[in-house]
Amino acid sequence: MLEVTGFTKRFRGIAALDNVDFSLNEGEVHALLGENGAGKSTLINLIAGTFPWAEGVYRINGRTITSLTPQVAQEIGIAAVFQEFSLVPDLTVVENIFLGREQSSGLFLKRKQMRQAAAELLDSLGFHLPLDEKVAFLSRAQKQMVEIAKALRMRPKVLILDEPTASLTDGEAEKLFNAVALLKARGVGIIYVSHRMSEIRNLSDRVTVLRGGKKIGTVVTAEISDEGLIEMMVGRPVEQLFPKIEHKPGAVRLEVRDLTTEKHSVIGASFTARAGEVVGLAGLVGCGRSELCRAVFGLETIEAGTISLGDKPVERPTPTSMLAANVCYFPADRGSEGLALARSARENATMSSLDLPALSSGPVLKFWRETEAIKEPLGNLALRPMAPERRASAFSGGNQQKLMLARGLMKSFDVYLFDEPTVGIDVGAKADVYNLIKSLVEAGASVVVSTSELPELINLASRVYVMHEGKIVAELAQHELSEAQVLSHYFGGHA
Amino acid sequence: MSTEAKTQPIAQPSGLSPKEILRAARLPIAIVVVLILFGLVEPRVLSFGNFRNIALQASYLAIFAMAQTMVLLTRGFDLSLGYTVSLVSVAASMAMVAMGGGDVSILYGVGAAVLIAGAIGLANGLLIAGIGINPLVTTLGMANMVLALASTISGGFPVTGLPKSLTAEFAEGSLLAIPTPIWIAALVFVLLFLTLKATRFGRSLYIIGANPRAAVAAGIRTVPVLVLAYVLCALLAALGALLLTARTGSGEPNLGGNLTLEAIAAAVVGGVRLSGGEGGVGAAVLGALFVTVLSNGMNLVQIDGYLQQICLGVIIIVSLIVNRDEARR
Repeated sequence: MLEVTGFTKRFRGIAALDNVDFSLNEGEVHALLGENGAGKSTLINLIAGTFPWAEGVYRINGRTITSLTPQVAQEIGIAAVFQEFSLVPDLTVVENIFLGREQSSGLFLKRKQMRQAAAELLDSLGFHLPLDEKVAFLSRAQKQMVEIAKALRMRPKVLILDEPTASLTDGEAEKLFNAVALLKARGVGIIYVSHRMSEIRNLSDRVTVLRGGKKIGTVVTAEISDEGLIEMMVGRPVEQLFPKIEHKPGAVRLEVRDLTTEKHSVIGASFTARAGEVVGLAGLVGCGRSELCRAVFGLETIEAGTISLGDKPVERPTPTSMLAANVCYFPADRGSEGLALARSARENATMSSLDLPALSSGPVLKFWRETEAIKEPLGNLALRPMAPERRASAFSGGNQQKLMLARGLMKSFDVYLFDEPTVGIDVGAKADVYNLIKSLVEAGASVVVSTSELPELINLASRVYVMHEGKIVAELAQHELSEAQVLSHYFGGHA
Repeated sequence: MSTEAKTQPIAQPSGLSPKEILRAARLPIAIVVVLILFGLVEPRVLSFGNFRNIALQASYLAIFAMAQTMVLLTRGFDLSLGYTVSLVSVAASMAMVAMGGGDVSILYGVGAAVLIAGAIGLANGLLIAGIGINPLVTTLGMANMVLALASTISGGFPVTGLPKSLTAEFAEGSLLAIPTPIWIAALVFVLLFLTLKATRFGRSLYIIGANPRAAVAAGIRTVPVLVLAYVLCALLAALGALLLTARTGSGEPNLGGNLTLEAIAAAVVGGVRLSGGEGGVGAAVLGALFVTVLSNGMNLVQIDGYLQQICLGVIIIVSLIVNRDEARR
């Protein structure tokens, strides 16, 4: 149905996509797999008409297309749901679904018909959404559903889904998978970009693996193992994604007692983290585990409760005071809270360490020492490309994450708080992050990991706290850690 | 974009490509082109006397553009800059006149300028960074108050009777044949360049402008940094106000009328981003030079003053469009 051959695209002379062939059949789910910077985004953006391709042939239903804009792409039946949403926050669900395609008779919008059509569309996908709610008030998962419904309103023949589950909980993802199966049965061809091996395995018919802008191969999903796919993706056999961590729990480094935040996103939470161990924080998105980390670091206003580091109580935590007290926090959303994307890699790596004697004395910034100071941290993290003067925005997602993590290596901290450390990064970069956690813990630091990825908790943590609606509802020791055990507490119930 | 990409050889990402060098040099090139174009119509444009004149005029605007840059870098701006110039001009003049109008009275004028500008900058900074009011609303409100104050204390009339040495030294004086205002603008440039490059404060301005939330999470104390940025902006405006007052030889309540817009225009044309975090004082100075060359040329070929204002507006918008396209890459 859709076929592209010899697709090539260069940015500033660098090939982002190099002579790639790709095809999609009716009713097929074709997964795109590759590390960040492998060319997946470029390929789907070319297919969706976001920007023009330099070389190559584009055929759809036997017709050759010479140029494409997003509007034309929609008209010929290609719809895309990208990671960045195109919704208008101040409009309702119905209004967003019909944005730009409003049905009207004369001057008046056919509100009733549109509402009815939207309800039917959402119903057919199994999405339950408040139709008249403004999109601004929806959760990220709900927004994603609106975005998908909006893409489907045009009855596309090709649907592109770019990391659709990156911010969904497992239950929400399940709904999405059902919708994908439904569309597939209707004959829609789906291009599915994901980092998650289990999704690719369950959903896709074929997988195309890209690496460094080149196509490594297209395989039938049922005929290849996970290890085989990872090997194609990273170009080397991956023995194990998760390193074996030697936990040696020592002195208590961080102790939180009855912590309640002003917004009541965290209610009466108590936990401890010891030197030499990884403590996991589990729970649904919005359960308060993110806010708990943020509150400890001074980014949420605290209403009640105490925080102590070692045996020193912390009066009013602020990011500045916590960094000085050797606590390091890595935000979940590197774009909005982690990085200054318009600035260089170098400046991003040092931005939380400008007060260190190595980088400044008094108000004077030793800029001439900066490049030397970041050499080791960035080298340890294997930043690619190793270009400290390049803008942070020009790096791939996984490498942007490394720029943020480099902060934690500028000096040795006692406590590291990781909030969703591997969201939207590829398998290779994930392994790098896990190895970083291993080396920190084994060097005696205390690491707290808040994550929605269950395998991370089970493979990395020595203890896991499960949160539900702001409260800590369970504490599980390492021998009790299994997906079923952790999940059983996700909804506050007791198994 | 695709055609450019097609013709380019595959280059290593390190080093400057010819395209990047061209981009860095495009404003100096534009300045030369504008000079030559005006020179074709009116040969006087290309005389040595006129070059000196341009440099002198640009030095005032450069100071104001550099002042504005300090807050533009943080995603803010200072709409009260122009009227701060007016208020400082009349208040400093009144202080000098009140202290007898002798040479020593200049010090009192400077003192009054520092106090007034410091207070305006502090108020702007505390309202914006401390309380969190939008810079547009804050500095627009401040502009109104400052304008009213300038008109009230001067009664709307110029303040005369300033020390003769003020004009002789600070407007018409020169060192090594270079006029004093150019020396002062150059000194400000060097100090601010070093501040941005080699101080934690300077680096913090960029990080805050590029992503204020990330700056907080990185432990940067954003409130004092922002307050200092607005104070610095106002103090530099006061310095420019004193130099302009020296040039006119009187305290002028209308001195700063268009300066707010011209300063923002110069900085933006030079490449300082309104979205914060990018640009520098070098960009502000080049932008000031470009705007000055343009208005100097338009004056010499006798283009109507209102038409000049229209041209200024068009240039701001065009440079915003050019910058936006770059930011998208």
